[in-house]
Amino acid sequence: MRVLIVEDEKSLAAEIKSALEKNHFNCEIAGTSKDALQELDNGSFDFILLDIGLPDKDGFWLLEELRKDYTDVAVIILTARGQVEDRVRGLDAGADDYLAKPFSLLELQSRMQAIIRRKFKLNDTLVTLGSFTINIKNRTVHYQDKEINLSRKEFDLLSYLILHKNRPLSRMQLSDHLWGDNADDESDSNYIDVHIKNIRKKMNAYAPTDWLETVRGIGYKIKITS
Amino acid sequence: MKLQTKLSLFAAAVTIGFLALFVGLLPYLMQRIAFQNTNKTLIQQRNKVLSAIKKNGIDFYLEGDTAYGSYSMLKDEYISLEPFNDQSVSGRLQTAQRIIDRDTISYRILTDTFTVNQQPYLLEIGKKVTTITEDGIALQKNTSYILVMLAVFIIVVQLFYTRYLLKPLDYIIRTRLIKRTFPFKDPKHPLKTTTYDFSYLDASIRALMQQVNDAFEKEKEFTSNASHELMTPISILQSKLENMLMDPGLPDDTVPKLEDMMRIVNRLKKIVNSLLLISRIESEQYTFNDQVSVKRMVREVLEELQHRIIEKGLIINEALSNTVTLHHVNKDLLFQLFYNLIHNAIKFSKSKGAITIKDQTENGVYSIFIIDTGVGMNKNQLERIFDRFKKDQYQREGFGLGLSIVKSIADYLGIKITVTSQPNQGTAFDLQFSRAHLEQ
Repeated sequence: MRVLIVEDEKSLAAEIKSALEKNHFNCEIAGTSKDALQELDNGSFDFILLDIGLPDKDGFWLLEELRKDYTDVAVIILTARGQVEDRVRGLDAGADDYLAKPFSLLELQSRMQAIIRRKFKLNDTLVTLGSFTINIKNRTVHYQDKEINLSRKEFDLLSYLILHKNRPLSRMQLSDHLWGDNADDESDSNYIDVHIKNIRKKMNAYAPTDWLETVRGIGYKIKITS
Repeated sequence: MKLQTKLSLFAAAVTIGFLALFVGLLPYLMQRIAFQNTNKTLIQQRNKVLSAIKKNGIDFYLEGDTAYGSYSMLKDEYISLEPFNDQSVSGRLQTAQRIIDRDTISYRILTDTFTVNQQPYLLEIGKKVTTITEDGIALQKNTSYILVMLAVFIIVVQLFYTRYLLKPLDYIIRTRLIKRTFPFKDPKHPLKTTTYDFSYLDASIRALMQQVNDAFEKEKEFTSNASHELMTPISILQSKLENMLMDPGLPDDTVPKLEDMMRIVNRLKKIVNSLLLISRIESEQYTFNDQVSVKRMVREVLEELQHRIIEKGLIINEALSNTVTLHHVNKDLLFQLFYNLIHNAIKFSKSKGAITIKDQTENGVYSIFIIDTGVGMNKNQLERIFDRFKKDQYQREGFGLGLSIVKSIADYLGIKITVTSQPNQGTAFDLQFSRAHLEQ
């Protein structure tokens, strides 16, 4: 998938690019609205990550401009201006999602995955983990035809690990995702262990959960061999 | 009491006082004037008598008697002439009683002596005093009516003039001072008045308001700009660290260091986010169009914090009404407010303690109470709990912005918040919602 990163802050654009390329996204960077439009004319993109505060033109203007010609491209607005009306204005102008700076790159990828599922109709809502079937969309966990009850936070944690499969995630990254701005790094990351313990306990009752690995010194990862 | 009332009352009191004094003194004054007039008349009459005697001779009047006396029909005036041996009396005026025709009457009397043919005579001319007094009383009565009307007229004129004069002050109080919400909305037009003091007062107040507004705006702008400016470097830092952490070839001992750095960046992020939130609330960027079921929202917050509640073994007594829906609020802000308060209650509770969340409606006022059995606060701590970046000895975590955010949100949404606390007993937050929050 091709991604156009429209961001005037070069080093931030480079970091986003480096993270996405590890996930096999193909990225181009544009530092101004003018460059962005030029890039769009030169080739087709699946995603545009759009910073609102651009040096030449307002990002909203660019969004309205590109929506005239490129209706299929998915747009995620990235901005330090987390004002509510900006969010509304962006979504009204045709953005698919919105992330306020500073955002976590993992969170960005989760949002992108959600858009891919929704917009590009990629049916990866059913994930098989050992003997379990997880339905991301309906938020259910099944062992054969038995449903296993996970709490909301437990399911969020599991689906986040699935999304970033085969990659160790630190407790802090996980707690940031679960509790967002209200996460308390000093103590909330310890609760991740509690949740993981509960997930294992509930699922181990039916079958082994060796796909959920503890990575010493870091955190956890879900191993899926496809 | 308002200045205008005080001035009007004073003016009325002074007017009535002076007029009453005048009316009271009137008989005395009248008497004095009447006496002076009478004295003058008596002296004129004495001169007339003396010139008549000079012209006609004394015998013309004595008609062979040794003395002469005459009085008017109503005994208002009398005159008497009689031989006299003492020369010491001359031109004396007095008020004295005389018996005339078996009536004892008070007279104003001029006594004088003169000599005709080596024979000294005593002349007395008298004018009845009661007539003078009666005139005084009659005049006093009539004058009183006129003076009462005059007093009413003067008071009314003063009242209107005072009102007119103080109108600018009333305008200043009404438009500049009463029910002013901060920050002050653009001051209305300058006051139109010819009174220098009021125009000066108004100009000073407006200048002060402007200064306060400017300072407030600057502070707001600074917070907002600083936060935004900080966001970009924090974003870059965070992304760099995340990318490093994703590196599969990362040495094991590097991970904890990177995690520590992430933690610090997170801390920075939180401070900046909190400041941004406060600055957005203060610049009124949130709408009030949401309806929120209190019970449902508090349940959501409790679920979000469930892991902490379990860890501390706390008992949560949630007794909120099912039926209360709050209107004209902002859902996100209200959630943050409950989150911060309940989070604090959990944080400062002793383990195995209890947190009570209940509501009540009294006299149409809906209140929610969040009560913990935690470490509590003393008076000094209680006074400063809403200040930014103020931490106390109990605060092992956080940056002292949680309650400051609570206060900003409560002020913004029009929720009155009161706190009571006892050290080692616990703290109770009381949120009072207005009637408007309960009406659609």
